[in-house]
Amino acid sequence: MTAHSIGATNAPVVRAVPSVWRRLWDANAGGYLFLLPWFIGFLGLTIGPMISSLYLSFTNFDLLTPARWVGLDNYTRIFTADPKFAQSMRVTLFFVLFSVPLKLAFALCIALLLNRGMRGLPVYRAIFYLPSLLGASVAIAVLWRQLFAGDGVVNDLLAVFGIEGPSWISNPRYSLWTLIILAIWQFGSPMIIFLAGLRQIPQDMYEAASLDGASKWRMFWKITLPLLTPVVFFNAIIQTIEGFKSFTPAFIISGGNGSPINSTLFYTLYLYQEAFAFFRMGYASALAWILLAIVAVFTAFSFLTSRYWVHYEQ
Amino acid sequence: MSSDVHTLTVVTSSSPAARLRKRLFSVFAHVVLVGASIVMLYPLLWMLSASFRPENEIFTSSSIWPSSISWDAYVSGWNGLKVHFSTFFLNSFIISGLSIVGNLITCSLAAFAFARLEFWGRPFWFAMMLGTLMLPYQVTLIPQYVLFHQLGWINTFLPLVVPKFLAADAFFIFLMVQFFRGLPKELDEAAMMDGCSPWRIYWKVLLPLSMPVLVTAAIFTFIWTWDDFFGPLIYLSDMRTYTVQLGLRTFVDSTAESNWGGLFAMSILTLVPVFLFFLFFQRLLIEGIATTGMKR
Amino acid sequence: MTFSIGRREFLMGSTALAAAAALGGPARAAAERMRLIFWGGQARADRTYGVTDLYTKASGTAIEGDFAAFGDYWPKLATQVAGGNSPDVIQMDYRYIVEYATRGSIAPLDEFVGNALDLSDFDADQLEGGKVDGKLYGISLGANSAANLLNVAAFEEAGVELPTRDFSYADLPALAEKFNSGNKRAGMKVWSDNSFLEPALENFLRQRGKALYTADGQLAFDVEDAVAWFQLWADLRAAGVTVSPEDQALDANDAIETTMITLGKAASTYAHSNQLVGFQAANKDPLTLINYPRIAAGTGGGHYRKPSMFFSVGGSSTIKEDAAKFINFFIGTAEAGAILGVERGIPCDASTRAAIAPGLDAQSQAALSYVSNLGDLLGALPPPPPQAAGEISNPLLRTKAQEVGFGQLTPEQGGEQFHAEAAAILARAKQS
Repeated sequence: MTAHSIGATNAPVVRAVPSVWRRLWDANAGGYLFLLPWFIGFLGLTIGPMISSLYLSFTNFDLLTPARWVGLDNYTRIFTADPKFAQSMRVTLFFVLFSVPLKLAFALCIALLLNRGMRGLPVYRAIFYLPSLLGASVAIAVLWRQLFAGDGVVNDLLAVFGIEGPSWISNPRYSLWTLIILAIWQFGSPMIIFLAGLRQIPQDMYEAASLDGASKWRMFWKITLPLLTPVVFFNAIIQTIEGFKSFTPAFIISGGNGSPINSTLFYTLYLYQEAFAFFRMGYASALAWILLAIVAVFTAFSFLTSRYWVHYEQ
Repeated sequence: MSSDVHTLTVVTSSSPAARLRKRLFSVFAHVVLVGASIVMLYPLLWMLSASFRPENEIFTSSSIWPSSISWDAYVSGWNGLKVHFSTFFLNSFIISGLSIVGNLITCSLAAFAFARLEFWGRPFWFAMMLGTLMLPYQVTLIPQYVLFHQLGWINTFLPLVVPKFLAADAFFIFLMVQFFRGLPKELDEAAMMDGCSPWRIYWKVLLPLSMPVLVTAAIFTFIWTWDDFFGPLIYLSDMRTYTVQLGLRTFVDSTAESNWGGLFAMSILTLVPVFLFFLFFQRLLIEGIATTGMKR
Repeated sequence: MTFSIGRREFLMGSTALAAAAALGGPARAAAERMRLIFWGGQARADRTYGVTDLYTKASGTAIEGDFAAFGDYWPKLATQVAGGNSPDVIQMDYRYIVEYATRGSIAPLDEFVGNALDLSDFDADQLEGGKVDGKLYGISLGANSAANLLNVAAFEEAGVELPTRDFSYADLPALAEKFNSGNKRAGMKVWSDNSFLEPALENFLRQRGKALYTADGQLAFDVEDAVAWFQLWADLRAAGVTVSPEDQALDANDAIETTMITLGKAASTYAHSNQLVGFQAANKDPLTLINYPRIAAGTGGGHYRKPSMFFSVGGSSTIKEDAAKFINFFIGTAEAGAILGVERGIPCDASTRAAIAPGLDAQSQAALSYVSNLGDLLGALPPPPPQAAGEISNPLLRTKAQEVGFGQLTPEQGGEQFHAEAAAILARAKQS
């Protein structure tokens, strides 16, 4: 398929043999014109700071004095002499591994429930979105302590069943789980995206299928899920990237230091400490580019596998 | 809201047993939903109760009922700062409103190019676009600040708004790409046969069919911009330019005397616009497809 | 200004530069306006702006104030300084003043002393506290001292007398026994577990005749001292004196709202004297303050009068003298002092202190009297902490203390690791 450039339809019908340039223009101009705002933003605002952070990752930049080139020192240290790098990577991987699938499963189930013709659905949808509206406000930190401290609401509930729970939020064995629960609890965004995706599935496909006598279950597997795969794919990619970059919940709940005993030392939290608390922006930049590399590899892999399970309109 | 697709089409055979099964399922669904709602609502109720509570009870009492009710926190929160809280609301509305316009226009343009047009270097640029999602913002902050400072934009809304008009938020581009790719391609091919330009296909064919994703993008833009804290913290320093989130953070400093009551009271108030926005626009989200009457 | 011009052009691209040139940078006529940045909450902002308004009336210089909570303040300040947009007057913390001074981001003020800055009535030790490498980089906004806050009501209910200034760590188990048997509040212990607090460790070391750091930025204590510290708290924990490690870990960042006293889990919490007002606002029960325990009967010298925070002048400020004049007004006039009170600590200017003392409320009086009457508990001011001291204080000491508390390390291992890793952090900072 070749795209027409804007206004091409008004071009004279009889044309001389088009030059190479003319053909290049016709084949590409449309795409690049549509991308123009993004290009301006990308070249003007985004790529410069990105490249300079890549440059800074090879320096000892301390925020306050000019950066000095140190070659691969930062990267060498990260991979050979930095136990906190390993710890924060462990914490982050664990978080991504559990929070992303659970959050997505939750969001999909609720979206399917909410996509039915029941009374009061707008109210439910709004209620389920509420936790996500709160974002990462300071109030969340106070609230989470009220819920998951030793004398918190959760343990009050467990006490009904005769279970004496620990102080979940401040015990290094469980503290990360309270952040995973927070992430799952804020499942509103993927839920809305799933809902929008469900709404975009053409009704006539269901009509045709039900005329053929297909069961609801079958319709889910044969129509809903395949047509939803682009959205599932999107949510999975985005949630994983966001999971790797997750910063604010740990920052407000663990007081910014990954307490207790680095059990909630998320990767970006460690990076933030290095950059702004310890004045090692160069080192932090190196950490950031390592994260980018990891996430990029993961994303590329997902795109490669997507052709086997993501169903796009042909 | 009865535009549901399943129920409209599936209830063709209505034996008593099937109806009973449907009834039971409905009851079950409501029980699940109500139970989940309580879990979801608890924090809001707690915050509401904290906003009426005497300040020195907030951190010790785990009961959700305040011992006494006082509106003081709302008064001290609204009027207590040097600048009225209403100013912060206005600023947040301006920034969020402009961000919605910017994101919807420029992200959908870019997404259309990535989803539907062929051009040289497309996979490369798409990868670049995704790449901008992957670098933690903490390390680009200072170069970006230098840039905006040189442009003379510090202490204005420009660093917060202009990027939205330049499709800087790759999340929304990617989101729209996925939705556009889910739309039948015969639509554009047919339009192209009729001699439509890409612009007309974008404007007349694809956008009208994409109400759900556009509404989704509008909702997210509004909420995320409204909730954004770090950008305003870095770029705004005059209190008259503060957003609500920045205003909220000025109530509390953990090393000194703070106004926690004011924080919770104003947190409740700042939730109201986002909640109303969501309530109103989710209607469009749900009705979207029904009103466009899409046929293949 | 951190980026050289060449690199900035590279960062921005030439179009952006041209646009910047066309728009022109923000114009700054000397001393027409001055930018001030500080950390604090609403209460501190109200007081501060009260003084800036006065100053604007007196001098004609408009002051653009900006503030953020402590945790948000440092990235905001660092970004402004690194971005070449440093404020003129900067509130500085004892922990960060070396970091900013050695990198030239704040300016030495010695040239203004005697003219723009009148420090003739200023306390000598507080002046000394603002010096780095012999040059004056910060003017102390108030003196405070480490203090132990006590929940008076909880002690009364339990029928236990409040600790006195002669109280020592050895007396704690007996106190706890009495408190635990009389205590009516579920889950409340008499003492917080303060093993993770740098000021507490420092106080302990000073009573042993040691210190945290030498003047040339080395560790001034030995492994045995660190081991003894963790052992002390392990014993207190075993004797039922302190809250559980789990509860203590709720206090993730020394925030007033998460300390054990505010959460109702302990009848006391270590803090600083100027924070009494802030703590009282978040606590229902009446609070008072007392010194840290002695390590043995008769030892002293652990406390010192610490500058609670400074005002410094931005290294790239073009109106340094005006900034110094403003600081002088802020610390040295009775009108300003009357508005500021002791919220940032006890004023260091003797005449200001005398002028405000009669008008103070009960808690401010208590803080003032505490800092003024430390007596034999008071020792000399230690040298300012070296670069990277913040890293040792917060993540390292906290983590090691928690590891010992949760039983992952023995006190011996904790002490050894703390000493070794602290030394490594200092070495790394020196090297770069």
